[in-house]
Amino acid sequence: MKCNDINRALIEGAVALPLTPEARDHVNNCERCRQLVGAPGVPVSEASPSPATLLQIERRLVADLRPVQPIAPKRYFFAYLVAIFICVVAVGVYRIGAFALAVMSPLQAGAILGALAVSTGLLAYSLVNQMVPGSRHRIPPALLPLGITISLGIAIAVLFQFQHEQNFWTRSWGCIRAGTPIGALATVPLWLVLRRGAILSPIVTGAATGLLAGLVGTTALEIHCPILDAWHILVSHLGVAVLGTMAGFFLGLAAEGSKTMRRRA
Amino acid sequence: MESGLIERTTAERSSADLDCWMQRYQQADPDAPGALVAALSPALLRFFRSQVSSREQADDLLQDTWLRIHRARHTYRPGEPVLPWVYAIARRARVDGYRRSRRIAVHETTPHVLPEPPAQGEPRNTLPAFETLVACLPDAQREVITMLKVGGLSLEEVARATSSTVGAVKQKAHRAYERLRRLLHADAEDLPEVHNEVQ
Repeated sequence: MKCNDINRALIEGAVALPLTPEARDHVNNCERCRQLVGAPGVPVSEASPSPATLLQIERRLVADLRPVQPIAPKRYFFAYLVAIFICVVAVGVYRIGAFALAVMSPLQAGAILGALAVSTGLLAYSLVNQMVPGSRHRIPPALLPLGITISLGIAIAVLFQFQHEQNFWTRSWGCIRAGTPIGALATVPLWLVLRRGAILSPIVTGAATGLLAGLVGTTALEIHCPILDAWHILVSHLGVAVLGTMAGFFLGLAAEGSKTMRRRA
Repeated sequence: MESGLIERTTAERSSADLDCWMQRYQQADPDAPGALVAALSPALLRFFRSQVSSREQADDLLQDTWLRIHRARHTYRPGEPVLPWVYAIARRARVDGYRRSRRIAVHETTPHVLPEPPAQGEPRNTLPAFETLVACLPDAQREVITMLKVGGLSLEEVARATSSTVGAVKQKAHRAYERLRRLLHADAEDLPEVHNEVQ
């Protein structure tokens, strides 16, 4: 047994008294491990709350006690978020038209819409978990928006060709102007769903919600816009999602700042 | 109510008990807040004590955490583990508290506080106090070690409480133990110096 094995046993809570013969041999011969095994057992000093403090907390909670309905199961919220996504994309495409499906190959259409669907599913699942403190996260929520944006960027770069488009900025600006209001439209119902939970980190949740709303605009543009230049799709279609992420991030930052100021006051 | 509260403070609560009390808390059972406060506050205070320097600040964070728990009690799903839910809220209260105190500290000049040496005549432990020991760790590692060893959470529960994955928690804990191993090897007398070096 080596020092690393003792570490692993400590981390997994496997170090219990009496030690296994192998562990005991190692601990007896290794001064550092002997101290390490003993250290976490050292009690934390003066760590008991006073009965007066406990009573004060209890009284404050009891004074405002009324029955509450536990939050609905995850699958309901997941379904709400996905339904909002689909409905707003449908409304957006209905308004601006679906011209891209006719010019994209089946592979391009299937792959890009599939990638957007997977991204939406991952974001919705993450947001559902962020609504409830202590939920299990398969992917750290702080990394998810960045990961999704990079993955979509790679998918676009692989699926579409980089061309020299004329009037690049004019056309790009047109797409951003068409996609951003569709994304903004999605934020209202998304917020109405999310506010039913307890958002612990407004910045992370804001960025994820902004990205989800932005992806609504991106998806509508992917179905609408017949320009297949990779630069155009990256800048103006995926750009809507990036704008949404940034807006959500800064709104979350403002919300967190105002919360801190309120508590300080 | 008071005597019952004190009795309950010493009582050990299992996960099933906590789940049961949480459900009763959601149903507005007046006994539930007291039972939960008594069962969870000692570990929460220890969690805060190992993260912040002053007892007053830890008490404030404890009260703030319970108010947050009260406001978010509807988000607890019966049958789910209680501890990660509570510690996720406590962790957030600590982060907000740290930001508040940092803003205040910008306007105030306070002397750097080092861990106090044991009082004269007090029997000296050969090992440093837990807070002194973990104070030498970076925030993320300190948090994980405190939840594992003081809060008694499992790896899975720590991962849930920190919105992380079990792999990431294991990695942080492993790095923390490596650092502790190096620090413990130094003479206990030199610990504050090592602490300064680390910071």
